Amino acid sequence: MPPDTTGHPEDELSELLNIGFPADPDAIGKVADAIAETLIELQVPEQKRLEIGLAVQEALVNAVVHGCNNDRSKEVRCRLQSDPLGRIVITVTDPGPGFSPDTLSDPKHRANLYADHGRGVYLIRQLMDEVSFESRGNKIRMWKY
Amino acid sequence: MDINVRKRSQVHVVQLRGNLRMGSAVDGLRQILEENMGLGDTRFVLNLAEVSMIDSTGIGLLVRFLASTKQRGGNIKLVQPSKFAVQTLRLVGVLNLFEIFDNDDAAVESFA
Repeated sequence: MPPDTTGHPEDELSELLNIGFPADPDAIGKVADAIAETLIELQVPEQKRLEIGLAVQEALVNAVVHGCNNDRSKEVRCRLQSDPLGRIVITVTDPGPGFSPDTLSDPKHRANLYADHGRGVYLIRQLMDEVSFESRGNKIRMWKY
Repeated sequence: MDINVRKRSQVHVVQLRGNLRMGSAVDGLRQILEENMGLGDTRFVLNLAEVSMIDSTGIGLLVRFLASTKQRGGNIKLVQPSKFAVQTLRLVGVLNLFEIFDNDDAAVESFA
């Protein structure tokens, strides 16, 4: 088992959803909706649910568009887990080459405000309590406390 | 996402219902904006009262068309964005780029 780099023991996590889907932009919404429905069943408060939902949406879009180039022959995997304290963790993995999140530009910079892309990772970091990029950058793990 | 468009006083009022996110929702709104701008129309009111989430793809669409309509003397104005939509737009620093209204009438009249 690879070392846990986030201080969250893997064997304490409960599996709630584990979905693999083809890297098709039209499939993203269905996966995001399945996550949302599970969070409703868990009685996660609305504000938290919305924040998680949007972060998941952004991670899925990145995986499909950037990780897989919208190639439906490739698979994206989305995993929803919780820990004994009720904290939620979502992991999104794609088979792509990965990237370095440190190379992303600041979407709030004046020069970028009218850009039509480049806000996804920034939003994830704002909405979730802990975010880590693992492997070669093609796996994102997001925690909400 | 459901999209309903009606024209009032040279302004297209676009009512959206659902999530403005990557996929058919953003594609549908993009098509409406492109088609009408192709006809020379540059004034749009987007009623977001029933839009619970706008993702970064949706935000990108909004700001791109805001810029292009303004370049041609028009604008895209927002009506009743949800609390979470406002939070999202503020988080990425674009909330203040838009004029926001409580209802369609006020937004349409503001173009006069």
